[in-house]
Amino acid sequence: MLARGVSRSSVIQSLKVMLIPGRYGLERWSYVLQRVSGVVVSLYFIAHVLETGNFVGGITVWSVPDYSFAERAYEETVKLLKNPIFDAGLAVVGFLVALHTINGIRLVLAHFGFSLGRPRRPEPFSPPPSFSSKQRALFWLSISLAVFALLYTLDSLMKVFRP
Amino acid sequence: MVEKVKFKVFRYRPEDGGKGFYKEYEVPVKKGMTILDGLIYIKENIDPTLSVRYSCRMAICGSCGVRVNSLETLACHTQVLELKRRVIRVEPMRNYPLVKDLVTDMTPLFRKQKALMTWLIRQDNVEQENPTKQYLQSEEELERYLQFTYCIQCGLCYSACPVVSTFPDFYGPQPLMKAYRYYADSRDEGGEERVRLVDRFEGVWRCHFAGSCSAVCPKGVDPALAIQLLRRSALKG
Repeated sequence: MLARGVSRSSVIQSLKVMLIPGRYGLERWSYVLQRVSGVVVSLYFIAHVLETGNFVGGITVWSVPDYSFAERAYEETVKLLKNPIFDAGLAVVGFLVALHTINGIRLVLAHFGFSLGRPRRPEPFSPPPSFSSKQRALFWLSISLAVFALLYTLDSLMKVFRP
Repeated sequence: MVEKVKFKVFRYRPEDGGKGFYKEYEVPVKKGMTILDGLIYIKENIDPTLSVRYSCRMAICGSCGVRVNSLETLACHTQVLELKRRVIRVEPMRNYPLVKDLVTDMTPLFRKQKALMTWLIRQDNVEQENPTKQYLQSEEELERYLQFTYCIQCGLCYSACPVVSTFPDFYGPQPLMKAYRYYADSRDEGGEERVRLVDRFEGVWRCHFAGSCSAVCPKGVDPALAIQLLRRSALKG
């Protein structure tokens, strides 16, 4: 249900603007990745809490069930989740968590004015001071570490890099 | 040498009430011709009902802001052949109410500028009425805000901002940049009042540093930097 004055087309338009980086450059890609990773990681967190909550009786947690119940719930969950699709999904979550964390630190630094250039007279063909080389290096560092997290998760779950 | 380029122009008539549509025009183009020249050619030779706003034709007045191939730019500042495309899509700016075709209503931008008191605030009213002295500034004091004075209020940054698209109450890059321009001016005495105005949810805290505002500015102004510096000032209190 939409709020008064908000049309379906305006919501779709807003989502398109938010999710499509277009030709605005690296900082816009960072914005899109940060938003998408934030939403996905939040949804994963909720699913994770619900899933692990089953071991202790779900919403009836305050009357703790016996150990055999938790053991059975754990075995069933492991059986359900132990397949390549969930493993690949977890690897993507690993990528997004690392990216959101490290890129988030970069953004906090920028919000406090650190790692940005100083105001200077505009010069033709030179990037604005806010697109400083430090900022861009930090962004690529966050991408690199996120890719490392992806590969590490894949290796931990599916042993893809082991003989 | 004259080439034929297809202009795919967004058309919208308020009296029709519809969503608007794209209409294609074939325009002969030669070296040095701008998007605005192409639009004027269409208006004069093919379709006089096309509405486009322009004035100086030399990137000074900031009237002819449009989106060309999905990127905000001044129509008079963009050469057709430099785009290296056979089809050029021209659309009105985003985040503004549409008046007709490529003409948008800039009222939201100017209303927000006014709300942030983007003018020099002085306490010495008597001196202002009967000036007796000059207000000297060092080179360093000038550099602090000079780059932000190059803004021509074309509103391209406001159109490119993804936060304004999703949260229209956000003040937007240009009004906040303008607020910083006066905040950083050594002659201004509105410091605390300015910070109070921007230190709110729809102010500096809503900026997500997508940087699109600075990427599209035709004058090389950096609103993203101004907003971060303003946010730092708000944090310091």
